[in-house]
Amino acid sequence: MLLSLSWLREFTPYEGTAQALGDRLTMLGLELEDLKNPYAALSQITTGYVVSCKQHPDSDHLHLCQVDVGQEALLDIVCGAPNVAQGQKVAVATIGTTMPNGMVIKKSKLRGETSHGMICSERELGLSEDHTGIMVLDSGTTVGQPLPDALNFDQEVLDLSITPNRADCLSVLGLARETAMAFHLPLTIPEVPLTFGNVSTDVSIEIRDPNLCWLYAGRVVHNIKIQASPLKIRQRLQAAGIRAISNIVDVTNYILLELGQPLHAFDLGKLTDQKIIVRLANEGEKFVTLDDQERILKSTDLCICDCEKPVALAGVMGGLNSEITPETKIVFVESAVFNPASIRKTSRRLGLGSESSYRFERGIDQRLTCQALDRACAMMASLGQGVVDAKLNIAEPKPFVPVKIDFSLEHANDLLGISLTEDFAKDVFTGLGCEMSATTNPWQITQPSWRPDLTREADLIEEVGRVYGLDNIPPALPPMHFSWERVVEKQPEFAFWKQLRHWAQGLGLNEAINYSFVGQKDLDLLNLPPEKRIPIKNPLSSDQDVLRTTVTPGLLASLRNNLAQGAFSIRLFELCHVFEEDLDAETKTLECPRLGILLSGLRHEPAWPYEPEDFDYIDLRGIIERLCAYLHIGSPSFVQRETHPYLLPVIDILVGDTCLGTLGRLEPKIADVYLAQKPVWLAELDLAALDNLISLAKLQFKPLAIFPCVRRDITFIGSEDLKVGQILAEIAKLKNPLLEDVTFVSLYQPEGSQDKHLSFRLTFRDPKRTLKDTEVERERDKVVQALLKALPVRI
Amino acid sequence: MDLISALESLEPELEAGLAQASSLEKLEELRIEFLGRKGRLAKLMSQLPSLDPAERPKFGQRANELKESCNARFDKVKDSLLAARERASLARFDSSTPGRKYWQGSLHPDTLIMEEICAIFEKLGFDIAQGPEVEIDHYNFEALNMPPEHPARDMQDTLYITDNILLRTHTSPVQVRTMLARKPPLAVVVPGKVYRRDSDLTHTHMFHQVEGLLVDKNISMAHLRGILTVFVRDVFGPSTEVRFRQSFFPFTEPSAEVDISCFLCGGVGHIDNEPCRVCKGTGWVEVLGCGMVDPAVFEAVNYPKDVSGFAFGLGVERIAMLKYGIGDLRMFFENDLRFLQQF
Repeated sequence: MLLSLSWLREFTPYEGTAQALGDRLTMLGLELEDLKNPYAALSQITTGYVVSCKQHPDSDHLHLCQVDVGQEALLDIVCGAPNVAQGQKVAVATIGTTMPNGMVIKKSKLRGETSHGMICSERELGLSEDHTGIMVLDSGTTVGQPLPDALNFDQEVLDLSITPNRADCLSVLGLARETAMAFHLPLTIPEVPLTFGNVSTDVSIEIRDPNLCWLYAGRVVHNIKIQASPLKIRQRLQAAGIRAISNIVDVTNYILLELGQPLHAFDLGKLTDQKIIVRLANEGEKFVTLDDQERILKSTDLCICDCEKPVALAGVMGGLNSEITPETKIVFVESAVFNPASIRKTSRRLGLGSESSYRFERGIDQRLTCQALDRACAMMASLGQGVVDAKLNIAEPKPFVPVKIDFSLEHANDLLGISLTEDFAKDVFTGLGCEMSATTNPWQITQPSWRPDLTREADLIEEVGRVYGLDNIPPALPPMHFSWERVVEKQPEFAFWKQLRHWAQGLGLNEAINYSFVGQKDLDLLNLPPEKRIPIKNPLSSDQDVLRTTVTPGLLASLRNNLAQGAFSIRLFELCHVFEEDLDAETKTLECPRLGILLSGLRHEPAWPYEPEDFDYIDLRGIIERLCAYLHIGSPSFVQRETHPYLLPVIDILVGDTCLGTLGRLEPKIADVYLAQKPVWLAELDLAALDNLISLAKLQFKPLAIFPCVRRDITFIGSEDLKVGQILAEIAKLKNPLLEDVTFVSLYQPEGSQDKHLSFRLTFRDPKRTLKDTEVERERDKVVQALLKALPVRI
Repeated sequence: MDLISALESLEPELEAGLAQASSLEKLEELRIEFLGRKGRLAKLMSQLPSLDPAERPKFGQRANELKESCNARFDKVKDSLLAARERASLARFDSSTPGRKYWQGSLHPDTLIMEEICAIFEKLGFDIAQGPEVEIDHYNFEALNMPPEHPARDMQDTLYITDNILLRTHTSPVQVRTMLARKPPLAVVVPGKVYRRDSDLTHTHMFHQVEGLLVDKNISMAHLRGILTVFVRDVFGPSTEVRFRQSFFPFTEPSAEVDISCFLCGGVGHIDNEPCRVCKGTGWVEVLGCGMVDPAVFEAVNYPKDVSGFAFGLGVERIAMLKYGIGDLRMFFENDLRFLQQF
């Protein structure tokens, strides 16, 4: 809301600065966002007097003027405007002045005559679109003053952010009321004299649903001359951010800004049978609004209609078919109160917000409606030389009934944590304009008609609190309680994730956070099924129109970002929820907690003493093994499977019978799309499964061995497709009680050979005695013989 | 030459030999020659029986003295040779070699802030509560005193799944879920992702909030101010001042925006005569919103009338930007390693 300080001062004699007012209003909940001077650009323009004006010798449209701008010498100015004349007061841009459009005025020659400035039109000053001639000022204007000062423009404008509960502060009057209360000043609505003509015109008003329109009033103004409003009105509207149109429309906007009551003016000649019907639209009914857009209406849209057709979308925008035109002679002015929810619904559905709908949605002072109407009619008559009709046409099916609220000062003090006096509270309610009966306890406070937000004791407590100043409340610490229930509660997901995050960070992975939404095409690219996805109904873009069903697309987007920045070694992890449809859930959504890990590029930053090697399967598998060890859930097994939508090879990670997730390499075709040239290794773990395994895990100490172990290495030689796992599995089958551990220690492929040499270190130990060399040799030999028999290998 | 003079001549010869010994190896050879089991001293000693018995003690004593002094000389030279070798190897040692570059892990700044905030409130006795990111309208709006067509819904532009299901626009629905599940007194803090249909330089359509709720008998706004004062002083420093500014949220009444005294300029608004970049010269920085729980919210969860409580909520990214001096919000979700690895 833009509030002009000088306009405010017409209602209350505030004499402080705009900044001080803004600071006080801010603490009252009306936040000052900015202090503006809308006419700062005109401060260099000066008022002048045309001392002489004669025809240019070499031009039939240029004039040579001598202009007094309050300096010693007169300025010679060449002016091309047809209306310039000796004796005018004018607006002058002298040499060096920067115009609102950025142009700088320079000394120039026009057909041989030097011009020392420019006499300005309204358009050149940014005041209107009028460029038919220069702007001629009132003859009483002082010469040699900055134009905004000379014309008394609104140069101090407060930009206030009004919260949705403060409908009353969307007007000069409402803000003046707050100002008056805050600074203990009187509040007066300046008089606009109203005289009725000797005519009485009936416009019948029919309200079909009293729940949608609570009050509808209208009055006719006759013999109106449609013309531009006086500069003062136009300038006020401009300073408040509203474009001037014509005297009639300008008055409706002026009153809206001043009193907060939206008004609408119809050309009465265009209302069939001079009748108003407030009704819901017919489904599919077409209607062209003032902005020249055809709207297709629904049966939930409230309309103002005449006998035949809609003529306005109630509270939102008027219709082209009843608009005020230069030919309009008789005006019907509407001042009404509509159901806020109904107006909001239509305005939102059509994406059509207006200054009117904004106020109707928030609530109107119903007791001011007729006063606003009369004030508007009086102004219209005065600006358009018209006559105000004596007849007030009104229907008020739902009069305003103020709520009476019980208020206990004790409750207020308890909730606010302070000790307010009765006198203070009474002052506040008086300042707010509440009627009050404070003889009883609780007090009875009557809601003012302009405060739809005050209906409960809590609302009144807030009022005394805000006037006292919430910032004056002293700090205190509340008592805290501990309960048995709290002790046995399961740790929240946050704590579990924290444990995982810190583990991953310690390991050397970098935590990423990606958006929860991705594009359908991102999931399609990964060949993921279209079923069970959760699309967003009103996405901001098609890049982000569905909730992610896997952590992968986000990690890949992060990979692409980092590759574009030239990163060498990328190790990312992310903890998040992924989403799939679940029709049994309250939200129709299953939110699955996941841990994603991505490795790509060099295993180590290219730096001494590392060799430049790329990340490989063993890196990612090692990370998963380390995680399982850290969480004490037992060793995972890794089972390669045939197919996966986007990984190849793909390996399932199992602990016991529980599948924790998968890991694998992103198919190169898909990696290409993300501009990844090196292998991309991905793992995704189901954190619900992991959490479950943790809850089952028992950490148990094993006594340390007393007797020494003996280690023997064996190298098996086999063909290229020999797998480490085959050998380990065969050894495990032996269930040798003395064989404590088998470790794969080296892999060697001689150049030019098809052979593969796999070396294992076997650790033998008897828990009860020291093993003899001969025994160990015998056990080792058993292993060798068994393997030679089971697999195509040699020693 | 008699035995005694042979013995006495050993020392000058050894002296000359030691002066020539340039390495530990040479020194060892010399030691064996003179003091070894079959060395020259040992040989002389072996002739002891040939001496007059009266001279034997004197000879023996002299020989022992000589042995000790020779050993001492050897040790001294050996020490200095060892020291020289250490010095030489130290000269080759390069302490300027960079350390092995182990993987550098990092936590996201949002994580750091959320964990820090939650830890402070856990210390104060709050529990952590969480809830779904996909919500129903009732928990996100209606139960929080925002009925359909309430203008306050404009404050939070919403991403919808269906007419009734949406991505939560704040962590506040967890307040409702917590109150439905638990009886007062309770104190919870709620970290999590939230979503708005809003995207520009200063808004991303996903961000993080931490929300707090405390419900008990006789809870006042003074308690709210106390808890928040403790909190901001923990995060921004012990001299941080708190300012409550009247505001509006549908689910609290009274409601306040909370400003803190600027941690960069100390609340004076300028540094070296330049306006402070953090508080824009005002001395105050807006950090969170709060208020006393609106009775309509208690009504929606069927809480008794004799309880009161407060709630507060803050934007995690905003705190991170203030605390770490991050200028651009969009960086939070691009996951550029150059960004991530700074935390």
